Amino acid sequence: MAPVTRTYAITNVNIIQGPGRKVDMGTVIIRNGIIQNVGKNLTIPADAVVIKADSMYVYAGFIDGYSRVGVIKPKEEPNRERPKDPGNPEPAQAGITPQNDVRTSLNPAEKSVEDLRALGFTTAQVVPYGGMLPGSAAIIQLGGASSNDMVLSGNSSFYSELTPAQRVYPNTVIGVMSKYRELYRQAAQAKSYENMYASNRAGLERPVSDKILEAFYPVIDKRVPVLFKAERNLDINRITLLQKDLGFNVVLGDVKEGWDMVNKIKAANAKVFLSLDLPEAVKEEKRDEKKEESKKPVDAEKEALEKRKAEAIAQYTAQASVFQKTGITFGFSTASAKTKDIPANLRRMIAAGLTEDQALAALTTTPAQLLGIADRVGTVDNGKIANLVITDKSYFNEKSKVRYVFVDGVMYKYEVKEEKKTDAKNGNGKKADPNGKWSYTTETPQGNSTGVIKIKNDGGTYSGTITNSMSGQETELSSIVVEGNSMTFTFGFNAGGSTMNIDVSLTIDGNDFEGTMSVGNFGSFPMKGSKDPNQ
Amino acid sequence: MKRILIAFTVFTSVSLVQAQVDRGNVLIKGGTVLTVTKGTLENTDVLVRDGKISQIGKGIAAPSGFRVIDAAGMFVMPGIIDAHSHAGIDAINEATAPVTAEVFTGDAVNPFQVGLYRALAGGVTSIHAMHGSANAIGGECETLKLRYGVKDPEAMKMEGAPRTIKFALGENPTRVHGSGNGIVPRTRMGVEFVIREAFSQGKAYMEAWDAYNKAKVQKGFRGTPPAYNKRLETMADILRGNIIIHCHSYRADEIYMLLNVCKDFGIKRLVFQHVNEGFKVAPELAAYGAGASVFSDWWAYKFEVYYSTAYNAAILTRNGVTTSINSDDGELMRHLYHEAGKTQKYGQLTDDEALALITINPAKQLGIDGRVGSIEVGKEADITIFKNHPLSVYTIPMITIVDGVVRFDREKDADDQRIYVDPKQTIDVTLHTSSGHDHESCMQGAVYETAKLFGFNLLEK
Amino acid sequence: MRTTIIKLSALLLIITVLTHTIHAQSPKGKSGTFALTGATIETITKGVIQNGTVVISEGKITAVGTNVTIPQGATVIDCNGKFIYPGMIDGGSILGLSEVGSDPRTNDYNEVGDVVPQMKALAAVNPNAVAIPVTRVSGVTTTLVVPQGGLFSGTASLINLHGYTPDQMYAGFDAVVMNFPATGRRGFFDRRSDEEIKKANEKSLAKINEVWEKAVQYHKLDSANKGKVEYYPQLAALLPVVRGERTLLVDVNASKDIQAAIKWVQEKKVKKVIFSGVSEGWRVADEIAKAKIPVIAGPVQSLPTREYDRYDRPYANPGLMRKAGVTVALQAGDRNMNYRNLPYHAGFAAAYGMGREEALKAVTIVPAQIFGVADRLGSIETGKSATLFVCDGDPFETKTQIQHVFIEGWQMPMVSRQTELYDEFLQRSPGVKK
Repeated sequence: MAPVTRTYAITNVNIIQGPGRKVDMGTVIIRNGIIQNVGKNLTIPADAVVIKADSMYVYAGFIDGYSRVGVIKPKEEPNRERPKDPGNPEPAQAGITPQNDVRTSLNPAEKSVEDLRALGFTTAQVVPYGGMLPGSAAIIQLGGASSNDMVLSGNSSFYSELTPAQRVYPNTVIGVMSKYRELYRQAAQAKSYENMYASNRAGLERPVSDKILEAFYPVIDKRVPVLFKAERNLDINRITLLQKDLGFNVVLGDVKEGWDMVNKIKAANAKVFLSLDLPEAVKEEKRDEKKEESKKPVDAEKEALEKRKAEAIAQYTAQASVFQKTGITFGFSTASAKTKDIPANLRRMIAAGLTEDQALAALTTTPAQLLGIADRVGTVDNGKIANLVITDKSYFNEKSKVRYVFVDGVMYKYEVKEEKKTDAKNGNGKKADPNGKWSYTTETPQGNSTGVIKIKNDGGTYSGTITNSMSGQETELSSIVVEGNSMTFTFGFNAGGSTMNIDVSLTIDGNDFEGTMSVGNFGSFPMKGSKDPNQ
Repeated sequence: MKRILIAFTVFTSVSLVQAQVDRGNVLIKGGTVLTVTKGTLENTDVLVRDGKISQIGKGIAAPSGFRVIDAAGMFVMPGIIDAHSHAGIDAINEATAPVTAEVFTGDAVNPFQVGLYRALAGGVTSIHAMHGSANAIGGECETLKLRYGVKDPEAMKMEGAPRTIKFALGENPTRVHGSGNGIVPRTRMGVEFVIREAFSQGKAYMEAWDAYNKAKVQKGFRGTPPAYNKRLETMADILRGNIIIHCHSYRADEIYMLLNVCKDFGIKRLVFQHVNEGFKVAPELAAYGAGASVFSDWWAYKFEVYYSTAYNAAILTRNGVTTSINSDDGELMRHLYHEAGKTQKYGQLTDDEALALITINPAKQLGIDGRVGSIEVGKEADITIFKNHPLSVYTIPMITIVDGVVRFDREKDADDQRIYVDPKQTIDVTLHTSSGHDHESCMQGAVYETAKLFGFNLLEK
Repeated sequence: MRTTIIKLSALLLIITVLTHTIHAQSPKGKSGTFALTGATIETITKGVIQNGTVVISEGKITAVGTNVTIPQGATVIDCNGKFIYPGMIDGGSILGLSEVGSDPRTNDYNEVGDVVPQMKALAAVNPNAVAIPVTRVSGVTTTLVVPQGGLFSGTASLINLHGYTPDQMYAGFDAVVMNFPATGRRGFFDRRSDEEIKKANEKSLAKINEVWEKAVQYHKLDSANKGKVEYYPQLAALLPVVRGERTLLVDVNASKDIQAAIKWVQEKKVKKVIFSGVSEGWRVADEIAKAKIPVIAGPVQSLPTREYDRYDRPYANPGLMRKAGVTVALQAGDRNMNYRNLPYHAGFAAAYGMGREEALKAVTIVPAQIFGVADRLGSIETGKSATLFVCDGDPFETKTQIQHVFIEGWQMPMVSRQTELYDEFLQRSPGVKK
C-alpha cells in the first residue's frame, strides 16, 4: 500500500548532522524525498506525519562503499562439458565481461537489501557477479519499488577482481594479472586508433568494435576509477603492481589486511573501503589459579600460540584506526561481513582506537565524497536526499536498536522484538518426512551444483538415489539414517577410476531442507533444497 | 627543461619502484672462509659494509656500530642458491594452455611462507621461484633473495636479476595437454612442434613490430601498430637474447632436441633443469654451452627418470658442463649442502667442485654470478656460517646472512617464525604431511582428475 | 707343425674366452669363505676393534678379532685403513613393491579395502627390482617391506637385499600393519573442516575396535575348536597378533594420535607392538618411554609437522625420543627408492642431538632387536649372519666409499644400473663427433 503522505516531521530528536555537528533535541522535516528543514523549534507542517523521536538519535543514512546488496545472484549453470580448448575460452567463461552493467541485475526485494537497511544503511555501491572483470558498478538506494528506482548513479566504477576462471585460462592469479595488462594495453591501442580514424580516416582500415575493450575507455580516460576487490595484503600489493604498470585510478574494496600496506596505498593514491568483517574475538578464558602452577610445556606452547592469535585479531580490529592515523581516506564495505555482526564490529574498531566521529565519517561523509555524491547524501542537511537512520540510543551504544530508516523519504519502521531462541535443529519437534523427490543445490567455491534426491520409505527402511548435474550419474544412497527432522546418508562417487565417499547431513523443515555435503578431503559445502510438490 | 622533467619523472618513478631493501654491516671474525672461487682461507675475517663484502683478510678491526660474529672454528661460505624452487610464490602452473609465456611468477610473490625461513635455516640465500612444468612453454620466473621478515613482496625480489623463463619437455606437458585435454602436444614430437611454432610466431611478431617502428617515423605515415600480445612479446624477447631459458627435461633425446631447436633460432642462453639423463648427452651440452641444474639422487618416481644415475652431476661436471644441484622441493631445499656432498660419494668431486654446484654455478645459470655465489670483495654479502664443514653430514648451519643482514640465527631465533598468524586458526589441529614428500611439486595446480568432480580449482594458496 | 698351430689357436681361444669372462663381469653374488683383514671393526655391541679380522664362512661370521686364524682356501681381502660395519637395517619401506612411483601398474603396496591384514608383502616383493642393487651397494642390506593404505594394510616382512625368490630374501620377521586413525590434516589438499576430521577419525576408531573385538572372538573360537574354524582370512591374519606371537606395527604420527594409540594398545592388551612414523614423537616422548613401546622414526629429513614448529624438529626428533628413554630405530621413509640414504638420515639425527653412537645403533642392533632377529643381524659378532660392509670412512659421511658388501655370507657385486651408467657415460665413446 502506498503511504498516505510523503511529508514527515521527526521531533525531539538528537540530530547528528555529520561528524562533530550535533543538534540536541531538534526537528527534522522531510518532504517528497528531500530533507526540507533541520533545526530547533521548527514549525511542523500540517500535512506531516509526526514521529515522536523523544531522545532518539538521527543520523544520515549509512553508505556502503562496496558490496552486492540488492544484486540478483545468477543461477549457476553447471557446465558439465569439459572445456575443449581451455587456453582459448569464451570471454564469459574466462570471467571477462567488463561490458556488463550491474543495473541489469538489481532487485529491491532481495533479502540482502532489507537486512542491510535494517542496520541503517541507505545507499550502497554495488557490483555485478562474475570473474576477473564482472562489469561496471552502480550506486543504489536501498529501497524503491523497481530496480530503476534504486539507481542513484550508474557506471560509478569499473569493477575488477584477481579471481581466476575455473578450468580455463586464466586459471591462476598470474594468468589474471597478465591478461589484465594485455586487455588494458589492447584497449589503449584500440582507443588511440579509433581517435586517429575519427579525426581523419583517409586510407585507414575501419576500426573493429570490441565491447570488451570499449569498456576500458572511461578508465583509460581517468573518468571512471577501477574498484578492485582487495581483501588480503598480497592482493593489495598485486593491485598496486598493476596500477603502477597501467596508471588507472584505483579504489580498493573490502580491505581486511591493509595495515602493513599503507605506504603502497599512499604511493598509488588509492582510495579505500575497509571491510566491516572482523575475525571472531577470542572468548576470555577464566584464569585457573591452580593451572598456573603446574604448567606443562604443552600448555606453555598453547598459551604462546593463543597469544599470537589474539595479537593478530587485535591487528584486524585496529586497522581502521591505523588508516585514520596515516591519513588515508576510507569508507567501509559490507561485502563479506555478516550483517548481524556489523554493529558489534564497529564497536570493536572504536574500542581499538577509532573515535565515534571517525567511524561516522567513514560511514557517511567520506564514502559520499569518494563516490562523488557528497552534494546529495551523507549528512542531515537541507536539500539533501532524505536518507536517515534513527536509533533509540547513540548508534555505537551496545544496546542501541534501529527504530526507523528513511530511504528517499520512504519510512521503514522496526519493532523491537524479543529474540526467541529457536533451536533450528529440533525444528519444533516436528518429525520431518523425507519421502519423495527433492531438488537440491550445493554451493562450492567454484560454483553451484544441482540435482535431485529421491527417498523412498519402505516400512521404516529408507532407500534412495541422488543425481548430480555435473556428472550426470544417478547413484544409490547408503547408510540412510533419519532421526527427528535430520537425515544423513552416504554415496559413492566415481572419479577417474577411484571411488570417493560423499557424506550428506540435512535438517528438514517442512518442504525445505538445509545441510552440508562433505566431499572426502575437500571439505564440506552448504546444501539446500526443496521437495518437488508433485511427488 | 623537458629533459630535466623527464629525468625527474624517471628518478621518482624509479625510487617508487625500488622497494626498501635493508643492507647490513657485519664483521665475521676468524672463520675458515670457503670462497669457492679463490680457494680456502684459514682463520680469516670477512668485513661487510652496507650489504657488500668490502674486505677479506686477517685481523680486520670492527668499525663502530658493526655487529661482530665470532666464527672461530666455523666455516664461512657463500649463501646457497637454489636454481629450482616453487617457494615464495602463490601460483605455480597456469596449466590451461601449452604456451603461457606471458605470465610471470613475480606477480604473485608471497614473502610470508614459513618455508622461506626454513630454507634460510638450511643456508639458502637466493632461490629461483619458477613456473611449473605443466606447459611446454611456461611463464617467466623470478629470482628472489630470502629477506625473510619483509612485509613488502617487492622487497624479496632480487632487483636487476636477469629475466628467466620456464620451458618443460616430456611427460608433464604431454600428460596435461595431450592426455588431459586432447590438444597438442601429446607426444614428444608435439612438444618439439609447439616450441618451434611459438618461436616462429614470436619471430613474425618481432618482425612486424620492427617494420612498424621503422615505418612510423617516416613522413606521412598513418597506420596502426600490430595488436599487442604479451605472449609473443615474451617469445620475441627470448629470441633477442633478453631471457634465459630454464628447461625442465629428463630424457637424453629431448634434451638433444631442444639444443637443435635453440640452435635453429640462435638462442644461446639455455639451462636445463632436472636433466636426469643429461649425462648421456654431456658432450653435446658442453659443446653448446648449455647449463644443467640437477637433483643429487632422485629417480624412479616416473618412467622418464627410471634410467637415471646419482653420478649425473659428476659426469656432467667432468665433461665441462656448468652444473648445479637444485631442490624443486621445500624439504630438499633445506639441506642442499648435504645434496652437494653426495657428489663426493657418486663421482668423487673435490670440495670446491661440490660447493660450486650450490653457489657460483647456479649463480651463473641465473646470470647473477657477478653479484653473488662466492666470497669475493665487491660481491653482495649473502653468506652462511656453518658449524663443521658444510660437506660433512654433521654440519649445522648456524647463521645465514642476506645483504649483510642476519636473517637466520640458530641460537637467537624464536621457534614460531610465522609473520602473519591466521586469526581463524583452531589451535591444536595439525597440518600433517604423510611420509614421503611430493617430488612433483613442479606439477602443483595441474592435476585435474578429482578436481573435475566439482570443478575445483586446486592450488592457489 | 699342425699340432702346434692347433695348440696355439686353442691357447688363443682359451685366452680370448678368459679375457671375455673377465670383462663381461656378471653381477652375481659369490659365496665361499672370506677373511677381511686389518680393518677397524665397529662391532656395535662389543666396541671398536683396531686392526682386526673378520672371517666369513657358510653364511656366518665365524671369527672376529685381532688374533684370528685365517682358514685355508679363504679369499683374503686386505682391509687395511678400512672399516667394517654391520649391514644397515631400514625400518620400513616399499622396496620391491614399486618400480616406477607414478605408474600404478608397477605399484603393489596398497591393496583395495580398509581391513586387509591378510595381504602379504612377501607375496608381491620383486627380488629383481632395479632398486635392490642400487640400495645394497650403499651398505643398506636389510629392510622391512611394509604394505600401505587403509586401516589394516597387510603383513609386513623383513628381507635381506639378496636372493632370487622372496623366500631366499626373507629375514625372519613379520608384522601386521595398522594405520592408526589420524586426527591431523593429510596434507595441503585436505580441506575438511575440523568437525569432519573429527567425525572421520571417530568412524575409523570404531572400525578398528570392531575388527579387534572380532579378532579376539575368533581367537577364542579357534582355541576352543582346536583350529577348526570358518575361513575368515582377515581375522586369521590377526590371530597371531592377538595371541602375542606376532608384532603389530602401528603407523602413527600426530602427538594426540600417539597418545590415543598408546591407550588403545594397552586397553586391548596387544603384547607385541612397534610404533612407526612418530613424527611428533618428541612431543610425547615421556609417554612413549613409559609405555615401553619401541619406535621406528623417519624420514629424519622432512619438514616440521606444524607451521609454528621449530624448523629442526624432524632432525631432532629421534634424539629427543632417545633422551627420554625410548627405543628408537630409523627408516629412510623415502618414496623415491632412495633407501640408500638411510645412513644420511642417521647422520642428521646424530648431528641434531642423537649423537653418532646412538644413531649407529638405530640402524643396526636396535632394529634387529625390535624385529626379534638380533641373534642374526645388527652387529659383528661370531655366530651372526655375515651381513656387513667394508668402507673407507664413516658411513654417515657422503665422502665415504663402500668397497665390499656381504649379505648372509654372499659377496655382493658392487654393481647396479646406476654404476653401469656411470661407467658407460663418464667418458662417452663416441663423444660429440661419431
